[in-house]
Amino acid sequence: MPDKSSKLVTLLFVLFFAIVLPAGHLMGIVSINTISLWGRYCCFAIAALGIDLIWGYTGIMSMCQAFFFCLGGYCMGMHLLLKATALQGQELPDFMVWNNFSSLPAFWQPFHGFVPAVVLALLVPAVIAFVIGFFVFRSRIKGVYMAIITQAFALGMYLLFLRNETKLGGTNGLTNFKAVLGFDLSSSNTKLALYFATVAMLCISYILCRKMMASKFGKVLQAIRDSEPRVGYTAYRVLNYKLAVFVVAAVLAGLAGMLYVPQTGIITPGRMSVTSSVEMLMWVALGGRGKLKGAIIGALLVNCLYSLCTSLFPEGWLFVLGVLYILTVLYFDKGFTGLFDKFAALLRSRRKAVVEGVPSPHAENTRVSHPAMARSSEGN
Amino acid sequence: MNTGIRLILCLLLSFLWLGTAYASDDKVGSCMQQVLYPQNDEMRAQALSALASLKPSSSVLRFLEAVNSNSLYLYKDKAVTLGSKKRNGAEDVYLIYQLYPEQMVLLDADAQPLMLPVTALQQVQISRPHRLLLAPLSSWIGIFSMDPQKRTMAYGQVRAVSDTMLINALPLALENETDASALRAGKEAWYALRLNNAASAQTAKLLIDSLETNGGDNATARLRAYAKKAGVPQEAAVYASAKADKLDNHYAWLQRVQHLFSGISLGSILILVSLGLAIVYGLAGIINMAHGEFLMIGAYATYCTEMLFSNVLHVQNSNWFFITALPVSFIAAGLMGLFLEWLIIRRLYARPLESLLATWGVSLVLIQTARTIFGDLTAVKLPDMLAGGWQVSPHLVLPYNRIFIILLTIVVVVALYGMLFRTRIGMQIRAVTQNRSMSACLGIDTRRVDAFTFFIGAGLAGLAGCAMTLIGNVVPDMGQTYIVDSFLVVVTGGVGKLIGTITAGLGIGIFSKVLEALFQAVYGKVLILLLIMIYMQFKPRGLFPDKGRIAEE
Amino acid sequence: MIASFKKLMIGLTASLLLLTIASCNSGNKSSAADDNASANTVKIGVLHSLSGTMAISEVSLRDAVQMAVDEINASGGVLGKKIEPVIVDPASDWDLFAEKSKELLTDKKVAAVFGCWTSVSRKSVLPVFEENNGLLFYPVQYEGEESSRNVVYSGATPNQQLIPAADYLMSAEGGNYKRFYLLGTDYVFPRTANKILKAYLLSKGIAKEDIIEEYTPFHHQDYQTIVSKIKKFAVGGKACVLSTINGDSNIPFYKEFANQGLTAATCPIMAFSVAEDELRAMDTEFLVGHLAAWNYFQSNDSPENKKFVAHFKAYCQKKNLPGGAERVTDDPICWAYTDVYLWAKAAEKAGSFDVDKVRSALLGLSFDAPAGTVKMDDKINHLAKSAMIGEIKPDGQFNVIWKSQGLITPQPFFTLDATAKN
Repeated sequence: MPDKSSKLVTLLFVLFFAIVLPAGHLMGIVSINTISLWGRYCCFAIAALGIDLIWGYTGIMSMCQAFFFCLGGYCMGMHLLLKATALQGQELPDFMVWNNFSSLPAFWQPFHGFVPAVVLALLVPAVIAFVIGFFVFRSRIKGVYMAIITQAFALGMYLLFLRNETKLGGTNGLTNFKAVLGFDLSSSNTKLALYFATVAMLCISYILCRKMMASKFGKVLQAIRDSEPRVGYTAYRVLNYKLAVFVVAAVLAGLAGMLYVPQTGIITPGRMSVTSSVEMLMWVALGGRGKLKGAIIGALLVNCLYSLCTSLFPEGWLFVLGVLYILTVLYFDKGFTGLFDKFAALLRSRRKAVVEGVPSPHAENTRVSHPAMARSSEGN
Repeated sequence: MNTGIRLILCLLLSFLWLGTAYASDDKVGSCMQQVLYPQNDEMRAQALSALASLKPSSSVLRFLEAVNSNSLYLYKDKAVTLGSKKRNGAEDVYLIYQLYPEQMVLLDADAQPLMLPVTALQQVQISRPHRLLLAPLSSWIGIFSMDPQKRTMAYGQVRAVSDTMLINALPLALENETDASALRAGKEAWYALRLNNAASAQTAKLLIDSLETNGGDNATARLRAYAKKAGVPQEAAVYASAKADKLDNHYAWLQRVQHLFSGISLGSILILVSLGLAIVYGLAGIINMAHGEFLMIGAYATYCTEMLFSNVLHVQNSNWFFITALPVSFIAAGLMGLFLEWLIIRRLYARPLESLLATWGVSLVLIQTARTIFGDLTAVKLPDMLAGGWQVSPHLVLPYNRIFIILLTIVVVVALYGMLFRTRIGMQIRAVTQNRSMSACLGIDTRRVDAFTFFIGAGLAGLAGCAMTLIGNVVPDMGQTYIVDSFLVVVTGGVGKLIGTITAGLGIGIFSKVLEALFQAVYGKVLILLLIMIYMQFKPRGLFPDKGRIAEE
Repeated sequence: MIASFKKLMIGLTASLLLLTIASCNSGNKSSAADDNASANTVKIGVLHSLSGTMAISEVSLRDAVQMAVDEINASGGVLGKKIEPVIVDPASDWDLFAEKSKELLTDKKVAAVFGCWTSVSRKSVLPVFEENNGLLFYPVQYEGEESSRNVVYSGATPNQQLIPAADYLMSAEGGNYKRFYLLGTDYVFPRTANKILKAYLLSKGIAKEDIIEEYTPFHHQDYQTIVSKIKKFAVGGKACVLSTINGDSNIPFYKEFANQGLTAATCPIMAFSVAEDELRAMDTEFLVGHLAAWNYFQSNDSPENKKFVAHFKAYCQKKNLPGGAERVTDDPICWAYTDVYLWAKAAEKAGSFDVDKVRSALLGLSFDAPAGTVKMDDKINHLAKSAMIGEIKPDGQFNVIWKSQGLITPQPFFTLDATAKN
């Protein structure tokens, strides 16, 4: 159970993103560009929540989350592009005209409507995750095998999306969006609204994930992480649980991608490259694996740093990020949230104020999680 | 040098024969003179047109070819053109062939063929419009080039049957042909010309047989063209297509051999890159995302060695640097690996997952470091001994650099097996791989074994990087290209199993090439990824999974 | 006690958040101050990838822009103001291109942006420039089908590069080639380029079966299969390769080409994406005699160019850039450099840095670029310039073997009729 101070920190976060930032914009201190930027970071945070569920809580390393993210993004992108095309009075999106398409491909048809597009943005990743997950988990592919299989899958999909034959715009992806639900995407009010929607979705996702992890379902997932065979021996259907969490993570990624596209204005296969998926794992690892807050903080902070460093140190930002990754792993093995805990512990010991029976701020997750990809032949 | 002497003899003979043709026509000389030192543009144009309309002779056509290919030079007031090229230190030197006043190979004081760089010659600038005057001849004049490759090409392109000038010129060129492949192409063109003008089916059949035995590059194309031609005797046409089918069948087989070779070559590259990854993962459970960067370090070590040899030591022979670079790249990457192991990795042996993150950070830092030091664009010169290929048959060339990589892989695999199964440290590595704590209990210094293994793993990657400079370029993020593939190889083979890595590497290599030949490259790659995924359904722990108790959790 | 811990956590969180926001906005505030009329600098954005896959090509453009800026500043700046380049690294990440361009236009308030290489990066920033009415100078040859008023396209349009090259190869002088192997990396430029080439070749009477199209993925390294296919194709005679292979795939391709016994004589490669900068590090032995089509070559014989090349080498050496005096110029570098001058000249002509005024001043502007005199079109932001064909020399330079007569009018939207008229 979260204690008071932890709740307060959460509340502060929410207050800050939901009120302080937009208020800053209205007062003219914060530019709309910054708002959009943080909106995009929040999208990444939603996807990071999904990764934390599957990796941090269940111990399954999935290296294709960026692909699910892009699926959601492409679904929304297709809808926006069709709308933009209609607004300009054309029949077909530009890239189809250049590629000599005579008519809209059949699989583009459902994306004319907003609601079907949103539903598909969540459904398509879910279905694909279900199919992949079913086969992978059924044959008990685990650990590094799971990571590499999903990576191979993501690479294959990436290569396919790069092709023009896929009819999704090839390397250039989908771009040149104009309006969402009739609201002009370039107006700052629309941007603000999208930002609010993203922050709201992030809060809702966080609360739902939290509830899920506190429930029996969540406990079983953590049990699977710690010892899969024992869960199996106690008559739980491990396959079903893993499949469920894989699908949930994919849906979260799809949701994030869906929100990401209107705020970025472009979706390309570059977003689903192998490195993108690894980077997504990095956010969670840096924030603190196995803690939902950690995932969110990691995603926000790493992306913020990425933006800052590429502007401030265009030549050397890779050094900054690289060294940060190394130091975090070496010294703050529980990520940024682990850092918080260390501070807290330090503070309390200094004041000699350890009160018996009061749990530490993040007590629900302080247990060291087992390395999910540890070689099976090697005992921990 | 045997060929050189033969070449000179032939050229001298031809000169004797040409001399008579030349002497008989005084107009030729004056026209050439006019082309070289024109009174005005108009005169040069007239002279060129006149030369082009003369009764064909080798001397004139050689001269015109030099004009046409813009390789007419003056050397000591004599018109010359370039012959075969040789590399002399930093610059290329050419055999100098004199075109006017007499035709001959220029010799130096020791009566050896004179070799000069282009800079020693003065180019005769002939404008584009003037060169266009030779357009009627330009489709086949290349058969009088000094460059055998160019001649081969020009013979291959001989098509026009009605051109009497060509019919007269072709035998002239063939008579002096010295290069084997050019001669083959030339004979082919000649047979084809005669075949197309053959009067009876009997003659045609004989010529078709000659075409087949000659085995030129275009034989099938020419036979098919003949078979399709209108007015050809039915009997000869059928015979020609049958022969063409037979040749095609033969080439299809050669093609298959080529694909197999390509597959083995790709497979050996994959094996070379993956071996280091496999032993490091097998021993320590480190998922080394920086493995590709050790490859990059090896490649840059090779590059530095090349720079050292050519710029500091001034060694002209490009073979030495590469031979030196092999151990240098191994040691450079190995030492870097050892350093990183000491600095970072050793703190992570108990936390294999975090190793993925830390090594990812290491790879970012290494890439940026390489970019800061070397910039973005570098490549290593192919050593002379590995340039070109082994011509198994006219239609099957196996490049030496690929053969070298295959051999290197075999050597590395054998050496690695020797190390693992025949030495004490190898036994210790195997022991630690199987059971770390038990090995420690039995007195094995696991720290030392870890460090040594990491050294070997990184060194192997460096060696792979050195080999990679033979086929690709050297860029800071070159490792990233191979990292996903090598992970796939390691996993498909079964983590930590060398025999698995080798089998999977070869299998994936050959499969990729076969699929690539059937589909386009991208779909080939997607298909191979799909195949691996399906395969893992049946073998979820790779080709050679651990057996027995250690396989259980 | 708990209360104090709570306070600490709250304080920490708050300060962390404020810090990040403050750092995000610091650029914003300072630029607002700089935008002041009394400030004596004018900012331009430089948006070239300095890391990631595209760095290999784009770093040189950053250097060229920086050099042009230094030259202009040394000679007194523009409208009395010194140019201050704001360099950012979009890291070959297409989404980051859009983000950085937003930052440059809205936060840094730059007067113009010089950048992008790939078509996808241009597409990514295009909406941002249109939304904020910015001005992007794009220095690379491109596939056409786009003509935004917010982008100045100084690279070649298809009819300024592809069509002259095809014409040349089909001419008697070029070798009367009749069969074409169109090989490219799988992305928009090669796809569109090959579509245009195919249509054009067919219209010139080339048979359909004599044109083969093939694509490889980015960073493709293993060209064994493809080269053996080309070899088979070349057997039929009169064959050449039109290559739109991009970046690091070129070296393995040419090496394999030579290794399998194909030469410039048997089957020349006409490249549309291989320039001096790519050849700098290559072992050019295999490439000699192969062709490339551009609008500029370093060997171009003009006083402007000689000065430009000498300056560039001196600049790279002085700044201790990798490569130093060994560095070479090429087509995109030339246009990246020319772009800065075009912008400066237009700003002087307009008497303002205002985007709309600069844009109208640009139209019809002519300039003595290293590539020769070029002229901005009267209606669209495209340059009219000459096309050149170069033959690769052993030293990695090009021998210019053909040059178009006069300037070629740009045609961003390619049609066969318009080309026939031209």
